[in-house]
Amino acid sequence: MLENIKKLLLEFICRNFMVDENDVPQDRSLVDAGIIDSIGLIEISNFMEKEFNIMIDEEHLTRENFGSVEKMVNFIKRQMES
Amino acid sequence: MCGITGILDKNLNRDGQRELILKMTSTLQHRGPDGWGIYLSPGCALGHTRLSIIDLSSGHQPMATEKYIISYNGEIYNYEEIRDSLKQKGVRFKTRSDTEVVLRAYEFYGKKCFPMFNGQFSMLIKDRISGDLTIARDRYGVRPLYILKNNGAYYFSSEMKAFDTINGLKRTINRSNMLTHALAWNTLDDATLFDNIRSLPGGTYEVYSSDGTVTNRRYYELGETEKCIPADYESAKEEFSALLNDAVRLRLKSDVEVGTYLSGGIDSSVITHLTSHHNNAQFKTFSVGFTDAEFDESKYQNEMSDKLNSDHLMLPVDYSLIDQTYLEASYHFERPVFRTAPVPLFLLSREVKNRNIKVVLTGEAADEILYGYDTYKELNMLRQWKENPGTGSIHGMIRQLYPHLQYFADPKKLGFIKMYYEDFLGDFDNELAGLNIRIKNNAIMASMFHREWGISFNREKLLEETKSILPENYGSWSLLQKNQFLEMKTLLSGYLLSSQGDRMSMAHGVEGRYPFLDHRLIEKIFYYPDSFKLSGFSHKHILRDSFRGTIPDSIIDRPKKPYTAPDLQSFHRDGAWTETASYFLSPERIAEYGIFDPGFVQRFCRKFINGLPVEIGYRDNMVASFILSAQMIQYWINNPKKHTLKEEIKTVEISDY
Repeated sequence: MLENIKKLLLEFICRNFMVDENDVPQDRSLVDAGIIDSIGLIEISNFMEKEFNIMIDEEHLTRENFGSVEKMVNFIKRQMES
Repeated sequence: MCGITGILDKNLNRDGQRELILKMTSTLQHRGPDGWGIYLSPGCALGHTRLSIIDLSSGHQPMATEKYIISYNGEIYNYEEIRDSLKQKGVRFKTRSDTEVVLRAYEFYGKKCFPMFNGQFSMLIKDRISGDLTIARDRYGVRPLYILKNNGAYYFSSEMKAFDTINGLKRTINRSNMLTHALAWNTLDDATLFDNIRSLPGGTYEVYSSDGTVTNRRYYELGETEKCIPADYESAKEEFSALLNDAVRLRLKSDVEVGTYLSGGIDSSVITHLTSHHNNAQFKTFSVGFTDAEFDESKYQNEMSDKLNSDHLMLPVDYSLIDQTYLEASYHFERPVFRTAPVPLFLLSREVKNRNIKVVLTGEAADEILYGYDTYKELNMLRQWKENPGTGSIHGMIRQLYPHLQYFADPKKLGFIKMYYEDFLGDFDNELAGLNIRIKNNAIMASMFHREWGISFNREKLLEETKSILPENYGSWSLLQKNQFLEMKTLLSGYLLSSQGDRMSMAHGVEGRYPFLDHRLIEKIFYYPDSFKLSGFSHKHILRDSFRGTIPDSIIDRPKKPYTAPDLQSFHRDGAWTETASYFLSPERIAEYGIFDPGFVQRFCRKFINGLPVEIGYRDNMVASFILSAQMIQYWINNPKKHTLKEEIKTVEISDY
């Protein structure tokens, strides 16, 4: 399940932010890597809510949940299971 | 305005020198369509193309006295006062021109004359006796001056295109500078995008001695004047208004008709309003309008024009016109741009010229000196947040910062923006100040370039470079004053005044004059308390307060709307890239010019295969404009235009052979 989430998320990131999959760091902040800016995070969260049918509240907006692709994938999974 | 050129080369013979100075000068005729002249001497040649504004019948250049020759591009607004003072000291004048005033002032005072000038200028002055060449530029870099060093020789020009006429020379992009440019909107200090080409920093002069040494001296730096804080806010308003009014008065001096640009924002509205004080007759105002309502400001332009009964021309601009003009405009702006905003100004100056106006007053620099940009608010917000961590007020502050962004209707989105700003808490108050924010916003740009370039952003290096240009008293300034300094050195001088300002108006021989860049005004208000300029979230506070009641409230109270033009929409229409865009974004062109990563460009092009989204992101607009303009810059380097000077408008040829 995690693999599938990651696949869909990466596809969105690559398509939307014009990066090659090989250039997307898994364990670092996408903002720090210069791949997205703050508006990019909003776009990603919109995508997450639609694609995975989850709710994202203000309290979820932390580096623990959004600080890297891996963290986002784990966050999505947790929200889907809750 | 005018165009100036120069050559310092001991190895050129007279014929070779004459041929080259003519070729170089021929590329600047758009800056000076009214006449041209050259000066030749062993080792040194000067050229000049003239836009006649003061003393139309004489004042030809290059201009000579027994000791000096000058080629100068500019206006010295206090030239009459300086002339009177020199006359009293026994100096005699042959013409009514400001050029002669500059020359005589230099003769009389030497290098000490430069800080006396209230104006915008670039100049080359040859000492006929010693052989030294002195070059100088105005305080803020309004008028351009580029220097190329090649094989031991030096070449000087108002625009870099003149260097394309030099045999065997092809401009090459400096990759590291290109990256800095992409991230910070301009290179720092005297660097340009190109190898071996420098831009003379504003507020400095250089002496090229006949023995080969070059010395650079600074005659002005921002914030050098002793602090003189007004007693209270009311006195400050009076002082400020009086100075601004005088700045306008001086800049209306001309033997030809002067108009103003009226964008609909408060800055140009104030300038136009003050112009009406000094003009009894109806005068001409100009603006750009957009068929796309998102960009159009004609409602506010008309409001001001009606109020002042100006003879107003609004030039309507649509996507297709921007697309069709981008290549020609890029020939003039000579560097990649992040927005298509310069293009409508290019088109507007053409209309201005068609109506026989050679001079316009515009509102540039108000945002820098009065804290008009959002960055000032962001820095203030970060400072307050750092001083009071853990308070709930950060959300309120962010909401005030972006009242027009619909994202923030949803409160949880605020959390992302809060996360974004949180990242700056560590370094927003380092030497880079607001540039930290700009660089982060532009970080995406770093991944566009060709992999073989092997460049990556080095923050430490940029910090060091920045530190090297900071004046001694920088540490004593407030964070916002520091930001003003950086904005004036980067975005203003390198981009707004050059690519969007001087280059776009001079493309059609129209001289822009900038009352907000009067150094007396800038120095006076630099040490005003920050709160006079940014009061809470009220930006340009003292400007708006001073003119409330005279300028319509609808304009006074407009939220800051930066002047922009449609970007991506101009190049991608009806589901496809336009012909121009397709050509310059094609894999063949991308490969041929070797600037950008083919994979990145391909992905970018494919992104809009199903059309443009309703809300186009900041990033996508920036990438489109930047990649296209960079490709076009390379196109012009590869295919320079050929020009010839018109013999019938030649005014002088002076020779010291």
